[in-house]
Amino acid sequence: MKHTLGFYLRLYGMILAQDLKSKMSYRADFIISTVGMIATNVAGFVSFWILFRNFPSIGGWGYYEILFLYGFSLVSLTPVQCLFDNNWSLRQYVYSGDFIKYCFRPVNLFFYYQSEVFDIKGLGQLAFGIAMIVYAWGKLGLAVTVLAVVKLLVFLLTASLVMIALQNAAAATCFWIQNSFYVLDFVTRFKDYARYPVTIFSPVFRFVFTFLMPIAFIAYYPSLVILRPDEVPLLSWLSPVIGVVFFFLSYRFWMYGAMKYSGTGS
Amino acid sequence: MSSVIEIKNVTKEFKVLNRREGLKGSIQDLFSRDYKIVRAVDNISMQVQQGEIVGYLGPNGAGKSTTIKMMTGVLEPTSGEILVSGNVPYENRTRNAQQIGVVFGQRSQLWWALPLIESYRLLKEIYCIPDADYTHMLELYRSLVDLEPLLHKPVRQMSLGQRTLSDILAAFLHNPKIVFLDEPTIGLDVSMKAKIRTLIQALNQEKHTTVILTTHDMGDVDALCRRVVIIDKGKMLYDNDMEHLKGFFGSYRTLKLRTDGDHAAQAAAMQKMLPELKVSADTEWISVLVDESRAHVIDVLAQLQKQYTIRDMQLQEISTEEIIKKIYEEGVQ
Amino acid sequence: MNLKRYVTLTRAGIMESLQFRLSAFIMVLGNLLYLIVTFFLWKSIYAAAGTETVSGMTFNDTLIYLVLATALFGFMDMYIVWEIGRSIQSGQIVLELLRPMQYRKYLFWAYSGSFVTQFFFTFLPTFLIVAAVTHGAIRFGVNLLFFVISVVLAVSINYSIDFLVGTICLYTESIWGINIMKQVIVLLLSGATIPLAFFPEPLHSVALCLPFQSIYNAPLTLLLDGEPQMQNVLQILGTQAVWVVVMGLASMAFWKVSIRKITVNGG
Repeated sequence: MKHTLGFYLRLYGMILAQDLKSKMSYRADFIISTVGMIATNVAGFVSFWILFRNFPSIGGWGYYEILFLYGFSLVSLTPVQCLFDNNWSLRQYVYSGDFIKYCFRPVNLFFYYQSEVFDIKGLGQLAFGIAMIVYAWGKLGLAVTVLAVVKLLVFLLTASLVMIALQNAAAATCFWIQNSFYVLDFVTRFKDYARYPVTIFSPVFRFVFTFLMPIAFIAYYPSLVILRPDEVPLLSWLSPVIGVVFFFLSYRFWMYGAMKYSGTGS
Repeated sequence: MSSVIEIKNVTKEFKVLNRREGLKGSIQDLFSRDYKIVRAVDNISMQVQQGEIVGYLGPNGAGKSTTIKMMTGVLEPTSGEILVSGNVPYENRTRNAQQIGVVFGQRSQLWWALPLIESYRLLKEIYCIPDADYTHMLELYRSLVDLEPLLHKPVRQMSLGQRTLSDILAAFLHNPKIVFLDEPTIGLDVSMKAKIRTLIQALNQEKHTTVILTTHDMGDVDALCRRVVIIDKGKMLYDNDMEHLKGFFGSYRTLKLRTDGDHAAQAAAMQKMLPELKVSADTEWISVLVDESRAHVIDVLAQLQKQYTIRDMQLQEISTEEIIKKIYEEGVQ
Repeated sequence: MNLKRYVTLTRAGIMESLQFRLSAFIMVLGNLLYLIVTFFLWKSIYAAAGTETVSGMTFNDTLIYLVLATALFGFMDMYIVWEIGRSIQSGQIVLELLRPMQYRKYLFWAYSGSFVTQFFFTFLPTFLIVAAVTHGAIRFGVNLLFFVISVVLAVSINYSIDFLVGTICLYTESIWGINIMKQVIVLLLSGATIPLAFFPEPLHSVALCLPFQSIYNAPLTLLLDGEPQMQNVLQILGTQAVWVVVMGLASMAFWKVSIRKITVNGG
């Protein structure tokens, strides 16, 4: 039986609504986590601010341009935080054998697994990111046109797929190795590197961060389309395609691991 | 009548890592690893008809769960063929999932934080259950168990018994052709066990659902199964009806006694007194295996009480392990 | 005190962590990547500044400081808060309290095994790499000795803070939230993300008055100081020693009060 996209969207909506309802029953946890998430963002911004009090620019990029990049990376990293947070629990489900319970439903296994958790804390990060983009946009005096906003949205959306793909792949390693936490942790640290222009690196590492660990596609390449509209490199225009391709590959990898694994637990 | 499950010469092998021992072993493991092949299921064949309840028995690690995983499409057999209501489960997992329901021991498949009714509503969407069928099913459930108090309770607040009950109802909700129940009564008290058994029986009768039941509890088998399949170490030992098994074993029960004095010596004395029964002893209990077709437990107890001071006693049904041991020792069929 | 049982715990910890050969490799790789990113990032930052020294730190100083701070973090952060939190939530804590050993001590020694492996697998390689990359910016003199002493004190302070924060889990289920807040505050105010020297006043003075700077800033300052002044060294180590005592007592007292509350009220 083939399900339509509409079926999955409706199902996700239902699960999300239920999940939010039940989250409200753990109010203290919700508040503390939200405060923690805001604190993370504030601390990140404070570090950024201290840096620019001591130094005028980074690699030829000014304060507001870097701020734009920073905001762009926060927004494009929101979906992975909100929608795919269950990847962090995958290791435990696999280890305890509880993962099996996801395998008996007549819906897509990856969808069913990820739909279980919506991490609402990520929305704080989204708000921070949007505020930074808007502020930097104004200060840089970039034109506000419908086309620019549409471009921004499309590139944000596809850029978000890159980190999702990296995290999926990292989480899926738990189907083969026991201590996959370190892989996931390793990949998560990429998030912090995404907010700097890739041009600061030497050619070798520019290649590495573009093609091997494609973190330059999380913020740098896609935001060039808005920041420097006169000199957009080909890679920037390709970034939506790269996001989609990486996401698809990571999905196949995740599913392959899940099907390969499911038997070995008790 | 065509069979709803067909298994032909199915074998499943796993690769298992041999870990070395000690600090030195851990360091060696860093550099080289050594695997061995374990055959979890070894050339099994069987057919199950629509509406049957089959007891699938065997000790821990016998290969029961592996067989079930293959039938549910989670595992691919190393060799052999499986058809579940016309599908090859592994090749078409989602289509197969629509036809089956699964309850896996104590692992609830319901949404932990949600009230039960919300879990059922989500399942209705997931399995595309038409409104009429869904309402009908809930009506049926209401007539069988006291459902109302459960419906608005989050699953995480339920007792184990309530959770098992809810999980079983969830497995039947989309009216599947086959339901797999893995240890459904494990850890439950006697009255809850009885409730669950009645429920399974009723659902099977009402919907003509095939039920594959794995359990360690011979009580479950007695109450539900006409047919029993026994496997051990991956091999099929027995596949026939329950009556046949009973006829072969008689109906055995074990009488366990605790007396004053040395158990071993007293057991030897009791054996002389009851030559047709089997008496054994360990530090805790003296066990008397009573074949009820020859002697009644009550009479045996009365006889023993005249001679010995009995401090404590227990009555045990014969367990799967004992049956398997007997099959090995004496063979069946 | 029976030393043998502590050694047994340490040995078990080493064996456990060796089983995960990949994790050690990945941690080194992660630190290496961080080193690369930090190197290029600060190189271009310093290039833009146009001067050799900013706020008293050269490029090499900053690089060593940040990379080793992260390496120290990787080796000290033993997920103690998670461990305590889970143990409380699962009820396992009751069994832990029955051990013939103080929980605080038990946990420390149980984790000491991974301290040892982490030190050799992640800190040492990172240290050697950064020493090679900055050729000679790290002096191999008496400052190394001060650094080691300071790290030992830092481990103790860090453990006390972790234990203190972990104890909060007796009051709330929100382990994730508690842990992330701790991490954010410690990392920022200890100088692990940006060297404290770059902090503007009054943030700089405030940070120096808090215990967090004793975890990363103190040992790294001692390491980078090629010609140590005895008075300066003693002042830094003395401050750390005070924090060892204060945080140790605070975490012990808080644990005792909290546990009493649990045993009175029932878990």
